[in-house]
Amino acid sequence: MRAPALEYDQVTFGYGRIPVLREASLRLLEGEFVAVIGANGSGKSTLMRLGLGLLKPSHGTVRLFGEPLNRFQDWGKVGYVPQRASAASTVPVSVEEVVRTGLAGDLGLLRRPSASHRQRMEHVLDVMGLAAIRKEPVGHLSGGQQQRSLIARALVTAPRLLVLDEPTTGVDADARGVLRESLEHLVHVEGVAVAYISHDPEGFAGLADRVVELRAGRVVVCEDPTAHGHSHEMDARAPSASGERPPS
Amino acid sequence: MRILEFGYMQRALVACTVVCAVAPLAGTFVVQRRQSLVGDGLGHVAFAGVGLAFLVGISPLAGALALTLMAAGVLVRLQRGGLAGDLSLALIFYGGIALGYLFAQRSGAGLNTLLGFLFGSPLNLQWPTVAAIIGLSAATLVVLLALYGPLVSLAFDEQAARVSGVPADGLVLALTVIVGLIVVGGMNAIGLLLIAAMMIVPVAAASQVARSYRATMGIASGIGASSALVGLTVAFHADYTPGASIVLVAIGCYILAAAARQLRRRRRPLTAATA
Repeated sequence: MRAPALEYDQVTFGYGRIPVLREASLRLLEGEFVAVIGANGSGKSTLMRLGLGLLKPSHGTVRLFGEPLNRFQDWGKVGYVPQRASAASTVPVSVEEVVRTGLAGDLGLLRRPSASHRQRMEHVLDVMGLAAIRKEPVGHLSGGQQQRSLIARALVTAPRLLVLDEPTTGVDADARGVLRESLEHLVHVEGVAVAYISHDPEGFAGLADRVVELRAGRVVVCEDPTAHGHSHEMDARAPSASGERPPS
Repeated sequence: MRILEFGYMQRALVACTVVCAVAPLAGTFVVQRRQSLVGDGLGHVAFAGVGLAFLVGISPLAGALALTLMAAGVLVRLQRGGLAGDLSLALIFYGGIALGYLFAQRSGAGLNTLLGFLFGSPLNLQWPTVAAIIGLSAATLVVLLALYGPLVSLAFDEQAARVSGVPADGLVLALTVIVGLIVVGGMNAIGLLLIAAMMIVPVAAASQVARSYRATMGIASGIGASSALVGLTVAFHADYTPGASIVLVAIGCYILAAAARQLRRRRRPLTAATA
């Protein structure tokens, strides 16, 4: 039986008096791939930012791996790829350095990366196809390579939950293919839970166990991941906690 | 070298080189966070601290340090409270200069004395002040080294850093305090209005040619130190003002680095590696 990685229980949130999410409930199980879709401003990114502790709900509870967010400490179990068009930065930063920033929380002050950290870095650079360009400044790379650098950073702590916010923004078709392969590997081989926010269904078609849609701040579940037009509004907790993955 | 025969030049060279080597190390994080004017803002508050010191009869260094550290805390609080970065800086900036002028006028401090703090007077430094400058710079360097990994993470992507468990609020405060220490450390040598330039301009120059964060910091620190040495030498021989000469040499380095980058691009057009 798979345990929940991320749970929202009747979560409400607004910016000032403008409501963004209303009594949203959602459960993402370990090893499950859930796509979150919705129009611009529907609250997709807000939902994920609440799940990552970047925002606090006005009502309701968010849990990571069973712990309420205010008590959760094991942030190495969570990887986050924020929405951004490019990984390029004002100051030149190499691919290797970008990936190493993912270890900062784990290492804290003064601690240098251990042998296992270095091994993990090699592994993610390899899996994401970045080993040969590790010394290159990310600003000199293609959109796909930049995005893979950000994903590698999110994976360097071997997270059990990966949250990707519009990961195909600015990424060409070839790189999308590589991203799909990488995500398939993560979910099916490494058993990582993935929350994939996108307005583009092409990015997760055939990968998602469930598609959840946000409409005007409410969670709407699409029953069939391959045809998410057919949907109804409801509490979007996982269909079962039995660990069974629907056939894809 | 005739320049080294004079004690005042020895002291100026030591103080300016140390400050200008350390300032860009903090500046790298400031530039990356797009807060290049934070040093300027704190410099104006340090001016208020100098004015207050004259008014109450304490050391200008102590007055500047106290008010700058306080302002660093207020600035971070304003920004955390949702006030836009440039607006909170502007409040600190104008509040500092207004208070500084008010305090200075009430204390009766002379214009030349005040100009010395605003634009630096490295040739008037005594060894105890040089020692204080070295101490502040060394403290800054130690903190920067200790916080290097988390600061790179914060500067590159604050949200992702927060999610990975980096104590972002504390680090932002620490970085602002570090900038304050550099401003106060560089006050006598480079000047409150010019020290911020030595945090930013060497980083801008190094960013033109470096390929990594670490290299940018190293090259920027080298450019800062070299600008101090060359600027002071030029000032000595041409009888120019030292602080301004140092900053202008650093800007010259930026122009050279930008030209070198353009040349390199023309020879080898930038092509993204295939995905």
